[in-house]
Amino acid sequence: MKFSAFFLLIIALILEASLTTIPFVFLGLLVFMAVSRGNWLLVLGFIFGILLDLVSFKTLGISSIFFITFLFFVLLYQSKFEIATNTFVLVTSFLGSLGYLILIGYHDSLIFQAILSSIIGLLLFKLIQNSKIKSES
Amino acid sequence: MPRRNNFLYIFLSLLFLSFVIFAASKIGLLKPLDSLGKGILSPVQALTYGVYAKLTDFGSSAQIELLKAENIALTKKLIDQNKLIGDNKALRDQFQTQNPKSLSLMEADVIGAPGFIPGISIPETLVLDRGENDGVKIGQAVVYEDNLIGKIIKTSAYLSSVVLISNSSSSFTAKTMSTQALGVIEGQGGGEMILGDVVLSDTLQKKDTVLTKGDVNSGGIGIPPDLVVGEIVSVSKFPSDLFQKANLKSKINFSKLTKVFIIVNNQ
Repeated sequence: MKFSAFFLLIIALILEASLTTIPFVFLGLLVFMAVSRGNWLLVLGFIFGILLDLVSFKTLGISSIFFITFLFFVLLYQSKFEIATNTFVLVTSFLGSLGYLILIGYHDSLIFQAILSSIIGLLLFKLIQNSKIKSES
Repeated sequence: MPRRNNFLYIFLSLLFLSFVIFAASKIGLLKPLDSLGKGILSPVQALTYGVYAKLTDFGSSAQIELLKAENIALTKKLIDQNKLIGDNKALRDQFQTQNPKSLSLMEADVIGAPGFIPGISIPETLVLDRGENDGVKIGQAVVYEDNLIGKIIKTSAYLSSVVLISNSSSSFTAKTMSTQALGVIEGQGGGEMILGDVVLSDTLQKKDTVLTKGDVNSGGIGIPPDLVVGEIVSVSKFPSDLFQKANLKSKINFSKLTKVFIIVNNQ
């Protein structure tokens, strides 16, 4: 799981740095958190946040602060409620993407990008969840 | 409970570290590290963007691309011809003419386009693989052939960021080629531009080419005159208004750009 998370986040980082503003790195971190609930994702959130800021002309640390804070709240939430659900992923990826895009100063097609992000997040979640079930059985 | 404490400690330490990095980056202490990182990662960005540009270009008809290139070349010829006519007229009127100033260009690869959703929107900014170490400065114009692409807004040691002319934050003076009507270009986002603040006594025509008026500072940095901005697609003129305006379209497809040129010296 750790290796596949790292590999997918590398791809997400390259895509986000070169082609699009859809927050792929954030979505990857959120989906892996929903599936695995590991503390190690906080560390990945920190590392990939710094790398993302490095390649996209943002002040270093701003993405890391957002990623680890958001993931921390997801970890807090999971102690009370179930987080590996479609609704949770859909809602959190929408709200998280919206917050992240506002934080880094993008204003064009904000709602559209957030909706697209939540759909991508949900698809990614189903994909990772299915591959996890297959690998365990 | 121990697990909760565990992730609380990890969270607090990482958050503290992130704030330290953020503060250090804000006051410029991490500039060398920032530049080094960008230098290492920029080839990967260039490769990804190049592959994407090639993939999206695959479906477009070769003949259309050829016609577009021909159109750009013909517009360039037309501008040169107009310039010659103007020069001749000035000579005849015994006015002193100035030679067009030589522009020194620096080639740069487009390695990223933040704010871009492939197939849905067009880029609003571009990231180039040239930075302060190559002599790139904030405010320099970026062109492709004789077409203005945008202006440098951010630089690091190895990279720079260009705001495109169609970006909503972009604004500069311009004139029409055939009627010499003066106005201000304002980007509208999504590849749209408006030539506004044109007095009613001036004439705006559909399909007329719009050129830059020139906005170069004493240091030789800025947008030089007579670069192509785009073509007028529609005109809005109402007698009750103080000014008229026109909608423009650039001749360049910004999402297909892989190479551009930075005007490093206008002198």
